[in-house]
Amino acid sequence: MANTENTGKWGMVIDTDRCTGCMACVTACAMENNIPWTGEEEAGYGRGMHWIRVQRLWHGEYPEVKPEFTPTMCQQCGHAPCEPVCPVFATVHSEAEQINLQVYNRCVGTRYCGNNCPYTARTFNFFDHEFPTPMDFYLNPDVTVRRRGVMEKCTFCVQRIHKGQEKARAEGRPVKDGEIVPACAQACPADAIVFGDMSDSESQVSHIARSERRYQLLPELGTEPRVTYLKGGGYYGG
Amino acid sequence: MEDTFHLALFHEDQLDQVAEAIAKLKKLGLRDKDMSVISGVPFSEKILGRPMAWTRVPYIALAGAGVGFLVALALNVGTVMQYPIRVGGMPYYPIPTSIVVTFELTMLGLLISTFLGVFIETISPSFGPKGYHPKITDGHIGILFDCPEKMDEKVHEALKALGAELIHRSEVPRS
Amino acid sequence: MAADAQSLTDMQIARYEEEEDPRQHLMFDPRPREEMNRMVLEAMQTTTPRYWITVGILGLLVALLLFGAWGNMILNGIGLAGVRPPIYWGIFIVTFVFWIGISHAGTFVSAILRVFKAEFRRPFTRAAELMTTFGLAAGALYPLIHLGRVWVFYWMMPYPNARWLWPNFRSALVWDFLAITTYLLSSTIYLYLPLIPDLAMARDRTEGWRHYFYMVLSLGWRGTEAEWLRLRKAIGIFAFAIIPVMFSVHTIVSWDFAATQVAGWSSTIFGPYFIVGAILSGVSAVITILFVLRSTMKNMKYFIRPEHFNALGKLVLVFSMSWAYFFFNEYLLHWYGGYKVVRDLLMHHATGPAAWIWYTMLICNVAIPWLTLWNKKIRSNPTAMFVITLLINVGMFAERYTIIPLTLGYQRFPFNWGQYTPRLTEISIVLGTFCLFIFLYMVVSRLIPLVPVWEVQEGQHAHTLRKVGKSEVPSVTELD
Repeated sequence: MANTENTGKWGMVIDTDRCTGCMACVTACAMENNIPWTGEEEAGYGRGMHWIRVQRLWHGEYPEVKPEFTPTMCQQCGHAPCEPVCPVFATVHSEAEQINLQVYNRCVGTRYCGNNCPYTARTFNFFDHEFPTPMDFYLNPDVTVRRRGVMEKCTFCVQRIHKGQEKARAEGRPVKDGEIVPACAQACPADAIVFGDMSDSESQVSHIARSERRYQLLPELGTEPRVTYLKGGGYYGG
Repeated sequence: MEDTFHLALFHEDQLDQVAEAIAKLKKLGLRDKDMSVISGVPFSEKILGRPMAWTRVPYIALAGAGVGFLVALALNVGTVMQYPIRVGGMPYYPIPTSIVVTFELTMLGLLISTFLGVFIETISPSFGPKGYHPKITDGHIGILFDCPEKMDEKVHEALKALGAELIHRSEVPRS
Repeated sequence: MAADAQSLTDMQIARYEEEEDPRQHLMFDPRPREEMNRMVLEAMQTTTPRYWITVGILGLLVALLLFGAWGNMILNGIGLAGVRPPIYWGIFIVTFVFWIGISHAGTFVSAILRVFKAEFRRPFTRAAELMTTFGLAAGALYPLIHLGRVWVFYWMMPYPNARWLWPNFRSALVWDFLAITTYLLSSTIYLYLPLIPDLAMARDRTEGWRHYFYMVLSLGWRGTEAEWLRLRKAIGIFAFAIIPVMFSVHTIVSWDFAATQVAGWSSTIFGPYFIVGAILSGVSAVITILFVLRSTMKNMKYFIRPEHFNALGKLVLVFSMSWAYFFFNEYLLHWYGGYKVVRDLLMHHATGPAAWIWYTMLICNVAIPWLTLWNKKIRSNPTAMFVITLLINVGMFAERYTIIPLTLGYQRFPFNWGQYTPRLTEISIVLGTFCLFIFLYMVVSRLIPLVPVWEVQEGQHAHTLRKVGKSEVPSVTELD
């Protein structure tokens, strides 16, 4: 019964060579986390709300161009730049899940964290957004909806982590590897996103994260991201 | 109030005469505490040959700085003890960031208490001759003094010789 | 040769005659206190219809542009402003930094120049301190205005509460809150203390509501030795203690940026760089305001003279040079450091779509003052100084604009680069705080004596012309 406590160092591995840029993760994330639609005009101005985005960059010279897709979300930094700058402790480090939390109720909307996130992973509720019918039927009861003036970001689907842990505890067993899957990983048709407990060295995510193709986003900043990316290096070309 | 006093007014450029008048009044037997100089611009006691006035403002200011420092300590340490929250991999009690808070609150305590010191000393009762004349803010220098009635004439004569405009105790307006 | 020598002496004589008569200086042109009092009170009590119309229009504009637009933004959401990811801070924070910078003028003029006994400060210390107080009042609104949820702003204050949850004292924004509170309170007190003798002066010479107003505010001032000693001790403590507070305020404002990981913000030189910029813009604003006071208020031409523009102009030139030094230092090392993100950023500043802002900054902050202010004739010309200092403040606004939205727009992921355009609500609120500043200043200029008469008279007592050989040399006696 040692492993039933709510601990674990949750992590994610994203294989950019497998990513097809289909945006299923973006959609799934929006459905799971009640992320509002901001509308055509707002999104056009750059205020579309996504907790995960697929960065598409072109490589090569025309016409020999190749797209490169990098799904990017909050990297759940160990030393998160967004956390200490918040004046009201609205974004804090969770000691239990080892992720970075956003407390919507506490947020006063200084947007300082948004500026200081080197991954620009945070999105802000510039207005109160309505969920048009029938989209409001899909609202996820496990996730709060956020009002205007509040910052939000990827939580690694913390509601699913808790659900999984509670289920395992009720059945008196440790959480199984692969039992907890965030919406983006669940939706990914190419299995480019793998999620799991990094503190368990035998988990699938730990195995993949040790790959020689691993890299992290902006490692020079010392943010200790919990998301590892894979790219090139032999298996799939580049 | 019964204790109004004589007021000798000098013109703003008669500074030497003021100093002389104070010396003369002393010679006539008035003590320093029976006199008070009021003026529209500051003159140091040395210029007029007066004993040093005193004030506690610097001590009050220091005490205020101490209070500010303690408040800063309470905020830096006490509030974290009540609800420790981990942010950005920082320790719970980081010294560099507490220095900023400590500096600001110490200075706030110092500066506010300086003002409070001035305010409290101003509204506290003061001893010594009372009286005022609007000409003071026109740059006149006034000597307020108290003397036994039988000396009135002698004193008035001495001051008039120096060019003072004398206002008898019964006529001194109060502020 | 003889002719040459002759013309040389002629030139020298001509130059000697060009040398000003000391009577051009306020300190050597004393007037009886009674008359100065009358002049100051007259300036204070004269209100023309034009004044009332201006005040009325400004008040209306404040209500409409500032509070109307702000209220509308609170009701609808901060989205009415043009900020967008990744540029989460826009022209609100630009104007915030601008006002905090302006507010450094009062302290600089009246505390630093007081500590160093620069005598030319005497007639306009109060005008500068008033700028500090109202600049801060206008600036301190912005941390509230820009909040997403301003109705819970008090969560940033340390107060005991049932949740046992206090503000995060590791956040630069909380330091900012503490520093601005400290500075606002202490600069208001610093405005008030030397005002007491002048309020007593006004009390003795006014009737009606004004008499009662000044009677209460002057705290029964009589001018006794103890009162003067107390006041001078307190001013002494303030003059020394408020200087580090002033430095800390703009340093902490700069730390809002420098403490982050944002490329182009994370710089150890930001503290002094911001301070120098603040003093540059603050002293310039003092000149601007002195010009306005001089040309709109009665009797001000006696107190505020070309010599003051000249003296402040030298300071502006010095600070413009220091600003350029810090700017170049920052630029060179970022460029030399070769971190690709910052180098691209510098390229974008100089060649991007908003490059004109960057060039405005350089032209107004460096080229204009360097080309004009070395010349004493220009420095002594109030109108020219008015234009130059106004342009410097345009340049300083452009500097903050470059540092904030233009830097945030080009961060590490090119995928997320963005451009920001201020929207109507933002521009309206920014204009609204400018109106608020002018409105407050205009109202208070008719409520308190704007020239510290006792300080001017004290200075005039201390200044004499001493005969040295054949010439009369200005000399100052240290009375305190």
